[in-house]
Amino acid sequence: MLPTTERFKKGAAETLADPVIQESMEAVYNGFHTNRQSAGAATENWDDQRDRGRAIKEHTISNLDYYLNMLADKVDANGGNVFFAADSQSASEYILKLAHERDVKTVIKSKSMVSEEMSLAHEMEAVGIEAVETDLGEYIIQLAGEAPYHIIAPAIHKSQDQVAEMFEEATGVNPGGTPEELTTTARGMLRETFQRADMSVTGVNFAVAESGSIVLVTNEGNGRMCTSIPRVHVAVMGMEKIVPSMQDLGMMLRILIRSATGQRISSYVTMVNGPRRDDEEDGPEEFHLVIVDNGRMRLLADEKLREALYCIRCGACLNACPVYRKVGGHSYGWVYPGPIGAVVSPVLSGLKRGKDLPFASSLCGACKEACPVRIDIPNMLLHLRNEIAEGPIESRASGRIERLVWKAWRFGNMKSSRFRRGGKLVNLFGRLVTHGGMFKRLPPPLSGWTRSRDIPITASSPFRDRFKKRRLRVDD
Amino acid sequence: MAITGREAFLARVSKALKKSVEVPEPDNATHLGLTDHDVGSLAAEVRIRMTEEADLLLELLAKSASAAGWKVSRVASPEDAADVVAKICSDAGTTNVLRSDQDIFDSTPVDAALEAVGITPGVATVGQVSKDIEGLKSAAFAAEVGITGVDYAIAETGTVVLHPREGLSRLVSLAPGRHIAILNRGDVLPSLDDLFTLERHDYNSHQIEGSMNLISGPSRTGDIGATIVDGIHGPFEVHLVIVQ
Repeated sequence: MLPTTERFKKGAAETLADPVIQESMEAVYNGFHTNRQSAGAATENWDDQRDRGRAIKEHTISNLDYYLNMLADKVDANGGNVFFAADSQSASEYILKLAHERDVKTVIKSKSMVSEEMSLAHEMEAVGIEAVETDLGEYIIQLAGEAPYHIIAPAIHKSQDQVAEMFEEATGVNPGGTPEELTTTARGMLRETFQRADMSVTGVNFAVAESGSIVLVTNEGNGRMCTSIPRVHVAVMGMEKIVPSMQDLGMMLRILIRSATGQRISSYVTMVNGPRRDDEEDGPEEFHLVIVDNGRMRLLADEKLREALYCIRCGACLNACPVYRKVGGHSYGWVYPGPIGAVVSPVLSGLKRGKDLPFASSLCGACKEACPVRIDIPNMLLHLRNEIAEGPIESRASGRIERLVWKAWRFGNMKSSRFRRGGKLVNLFGRLVTHGGMFKRLPPPLSGWTRSRDIPITASSPFRDRFKKRRLRVDD
Repeated sequence: MAITGREAFLARVSKALKKSVEVPEPDNATHLGLTDHDVGSLAAEVRIRMTEEADLLLELLAKSASAAGWKVSRVASPEDAADVVAKICSDAGTTNVLRSDQDIFDSTPVDAALEAVGITPGVATVGQVSKDIEGLKSAAFAAEVGITGVDYAIAETGTVVLHPREGLSRLVSLAPGRHIAILNRGDVLPSLDDLFTLERHDYNSHQIEGSMNLISGPSRTGDIGATIVDGIHGPFEVHLVIVQ
């Protein structure tokens, strides 16, 4: 999707002013957050498992060339095809060409954040291929023409009434208003689509280097439909989604699922080891794995940002983040919202556009605490803030005026005499223009400071003077 | 088949890592360093536990499976299991029932029990219920109950494991509104880790199937009104029949 990360402040303000979204988000996040915490507490050696999960990712990412090579060899040996895509455009082109060559009419998609990077459904519709999102949340936002709001719950911001309206428009029949009635309606629409699909595009939760397998985690079963029915199955993965061995999967699934929804396991976990074998009853005849860079190489090359590639997309940091819970998923303006999105989105989609995102955090550390592989998000946000501040002037967060102010500040603080005189000046000025010694409103560019709080004027008698007097008294 | 664009891509990964492609130092973090022989020994240990602790594992499974959303029935004999299956089908008020072609149906008289309540189950294979995959798919989507055996169950998570293969369609446990899985004593694994140990051992010793499914309860969604609803795409009702 095209990034609109530069709209962050505007989008955040709009969401903050929307009482309906505020209420529904608070309720749902509290649910996710509590479930995750109790799942962690109920798991033996939870912290130990997190350490092991992190160690696996650390080892894999620092040998990523080796494991990608192994993965490609094994997928090939299993009878699948591998395409390495430098960017989202070349990944889209490969899939569209394949669809064209195989005379594909209908594509079913199961949730894939990478395919959102590529706007794949949109690209397919543009060349006349029907592309249907089959995760219910994704299906709803596809009908609404929007982007996912949350990694795990894409349509979290839509009310039941809004969903009912959309379904009525799609089917011409009033579906009723309860979640059960709406789900039954969606079941009918989607089961019809599943049966005529001739190609599927899925994401990848984990790819296993030693066996060339991919693993899909779903509760709805759309991942299973996508890997059972169509003739052609295309799996799309960011290049970081590897684990070395099948035996690493048990632990990784455990920490992913418990962190995502608080479940012990999801309803379905599907492992695909290439196309169906000759003697199998059904399943895709072709399997394609598309491995995507699309800016991830920049994260890999920067040792301070590399651990962003440890992310297993569980969404726990979103639910834990006090900023995300207020400004919502769309404000972040690209595929990945929340704390991990504030790191990944600017680097993948352009630091210049996304320069506000690394500042959308109070650095409280809740994201790092929630992360099942202990990614140090606050530290990376600080690093990006530094990059932005030191970078070329047009991508800096601060403008010319701010730089001028800091110059003046530096001048005023270089000598103690200047500092003292400056303080007295502010005090004098403050007493003339304020009542009660508080600035209620400062002019731009300082107006942001006083929008939600007052700032006191400097003291009439500086601390140094008072300290001197007091010490004299004590000495007496 | 084909690998496209590998060399240039991997060269850029190596450059970003500031190293050249090399075999990583053995690392305790992952299991990759285990030899085929190590994995074989671990798999043998898992097999022993499955037999020696079979009763305990059944108890644990009955609990975890209920928690995951399975309706669990525990019966003493294959004949009782067949009767339970027949009752579930007749209670559902349908005669449109499909089953897989697995060994369990040789030892469990499901067909006879179903015939006794007036149901003739279809056998979900190409060649029996239909002459091609298209027909098999239509039959699976039209069926109201799908019956299968299980390859393993997992006590930790309440999971049924199936490897689709000849005789076991991918759709018979997925497309019908109800799924019944029949499990024998001795098929229960302690944990997810044990499953992947066995799976890796199989991979080392012979060609494995094209896919594996872990099923832990009904098809579920929470995407509308943050309410959990069963039966969005696949079965809304799942039954686990345990034969002790």
